[in-house]
Amino acid sequence: MTVQTINRAGTLLLVVFTLTAPWVLPLFVDSFWVDIYSEILIWSLLAASVNLLFGYVGLLSFGQALYFGMGMYGVAIGIAKLGFGFWGGFGFGVVLATAMAAVAGVLAVRLTWHYFAIITVVFSLIFYFLALSWKPLTGGDDGLPFGMPPLISIGDFELTLTDPDVQYFFIVLMVGACYALMGRIISSPLGRAFVTVRENDLRASLIGLNVYMIRLSAFIVSGFIAGVAGALFALFGRYASANFMFYHVSGEAVVWAIIGGVGTLFGPIVGTSLLIVLREELSHVWAHYPILVGIVVILTVIFAPKGIGGIWTSLVHRFAGANAGKGGDQ
Amino acid sequence: MKKDKASNKTLQTAGRTRRSFLQTALAGGAVATTAYLGLTRDLFAKEGGPIVIGHHCELTGGFSSWGYWHDKCAKKAVEVINEGGGIAGRKVELATEDTESNPATGARKLRALIQRRKASFVVGSVHSGIMLASIPVATELKTPYFSAGEATEATGSKGTRYSFRTGTDTYALAAAGAPWAYENLGKNWTMIFPDYAWGHSHHQEHRKIIEQMGGKVNDPIAVPLGTKDLVPYLAKIPEETEVLFSVFFGALSVAFYTQSKSMKLDEKMKMYSVSGTIEAIDPRAIDGAAEGVFFLENFPRPLEYKDDEYHRKFVEMMEIDPVHAKEEGSSRVMAKSHAWQSWENFFALKQAIEKSGWNTDKDTPMVIEALEGLEMENSLAHPQGSKLLRAEDHSGMIDCYISQVVDSKFEMKKHIPRADMMAMLPPRYDFTKQPL
Repeated sequence: MTVQTINRAGTLLLVVFTLTAPWVLPLFVDSFWVDIYSEILIWSLLAASVNLLFGYVGLLSFGQALYFGMGMYGVAIGIAKLGFGFWGGFGFGVVLATAMAAVAGVLAVRLTWHYFAIITVVFSLIFYFLALSWKPLTGGDDGLPFGMPPLISIGDFELTLTDPDVQYFFIVLMVGACYALMGRIISSPLGRAFVTVRENDLRASLIGLNVYMIRLSAFIVSGFIAGVAGALFALFGRYASANFMFYHVSGEAVVWAIIGGVGTLFGPIVGTSLLIVLREELSHVWAHYPILVGIVVILTVIFAPKGIGGIWTSLVHRFAGANAGKGGDQ
Repeated sequence: MKKDKASNKTLQTAGRTRRSFLQTALAGGAVATTAYLGLTRDLFAKEGGPIVIGHHCELTGGFSSWGYWHDKCAKKAVEVINEGGGIAGRKVELATEDTESNPATGARKLRALIQRRKASFVVGSVHSGIMLASIPVATELKTPYFSAGEATEATGSKGTRYSFRTGTDTYALAAAGAPWAYENLGKNWTMIFPDYAWGHSHHQEHRKIIEQMGGKVNDPIAVPLGTKDLVPYLAKIPEETEVLFSVFFGALSVAFYTQSKSMKLDEKMKMYSVSGTIEAIDPRAIDGAAEGVFFLENFPRPLEYKDDEYHRKFVEMMEIDPVHAKEEGSSRVMAKSHAWQSWENFFALKQAIEKSGWNTDKDTPMVIEALEGLEMENSLAHPQGSKLLRAEDHSGMIDCYISQVVDSKFEMKKHIPRADMMAMLPPRYDFTKQPL
């Protein structure tokens, strides 16, 4: 069995599980976990946006919550204040987040390492405080709830996210599309350019790559991904809040990405799943559960710096290598 | 011999196959039964069993000094209800989830309360952002949700048939206290508050009433979030101000009282505020900084101003002293003007459930109808006093109290009966018209 076959089987398993979760999960656990899995999928996109920048381009952003929040507010303002309807609101959220990433990226990607991390936090804080104080538009610290408009409405036929199955599969569809897009980008020449810049930006520029534009492209794509996550989360919660723009949310996404394994496509899903399941199981029995989560993070960083994705990769390689060895003997 | 062995082997193989088949069939049956039970659990499990009531509470985070009391009230209320035979003869099971004082966590925990822990009703958060994030979720999951915070939207523009509040919001607080403060403290007002929703909402509601009564309201002073030094903002207060209305929370509230005292503002103007700014704070602990300040309270801090057997029993059950509301054996001061809701809401639910004949979740619309216009009598169930849960806007109509801090103790200056407040508080929304 080759590495590729094992990875394909793993991906297929994940896809089958995701597509059947609304029926399979309630057989073993409470149906509440279907909602938690929806949440995991959404948050994994935010972690994936961190992963795209950090894992593939080498830029550690602590400001992804800004684009997540923009996606949320775009949806909430679009639906509650501008009467855009479902698709208009969703599109407005994603466009707003992407445009914000383009504007912030023009300045931010001129910097690297801690300077880059600091400027992303600063952007995030500016808009966090702006959202808190602009009450007529954002609802201030109270946030902005909204009623759910129909997804499709033709005569008497109506599809809406208030139907749990419709909501779940809408989230799966959008998240799946984002992962497909990321997969496509990573395997494209642009993705290779990302990795080249990550490995050595000086050499990349010497071979003719426009490092600035490559970083900016990655920044905008990651803002788009975070924006889709924010827009989905607003639709999931029927609510937008400045709290989601705070850098604490960005920090969580960084932790999920690191635990899952940066530089791997599905690492963020694994990291997000692990930590959200831990949180769900621990938080209602012990209020100070973040201490345990912190211990898990410290242990992972020390003993598995490439995260769970790294462990998976080395296991798969070992297994495939062992199989290849057996095949050779025969 | 060989043949025997072969036939034995065949038998063994056949036996294993039969066993495997039986095991598979049994396992399949078990899975199918589990699935069937999972699917039908919601329909039958609650009938006759305990009634699960959720408590959506700030056990940790910025509101935990209040949350402690909400939690204590909820636990004691359920204890008392169960000792008295439960609700309609059924035991009450309390399911508490910590919102971590965070709207994102709060919305998630509300789903956990309703979907995972099967709460049929939820006594909700005192944090405005959390309760506003929760109302759409509770409405969608068709579960009555009692807010305890002050954002007027919860029983206003963002309210629904499923959202209730037995306490006061910024609209009610202005209606209850502003007329008295205008008549007795002064007609030229300046309002200072942190630059976020709670402060702005108080400003808007108070401004309407003061201007309606003929008073003057100067430009508001909105203090940016994260400010530690309030002196530059206090220096902006116009000289002609007669009443300084402030709305701060927690540490910033203490900073406000301390810094305004050091600038001797209290000697130039009357200081007026709402109970939320001094909740869980002992005036003795801030070296007289709150001395002379007037507060609008929902529940007088000292027992003597509502001295009846119910209030006495409530104080005893909360294990607080009857003057400063300080907990025995700790330095905690009860957040009394808000936490009573997490006691009384359980009894309001008991009354409505028993009145409506609720049996399972499909009967919840009947409980909502019973809650709309529910009259609650002054009793141990309602130690804050008699009240009405107004049908149209699902808002509590309650007595309020104007108190002043004198010698670090709350001294009541005026008891405002609910009728006076209601005269200034016409319903702005009618949720009874929404379908159930």
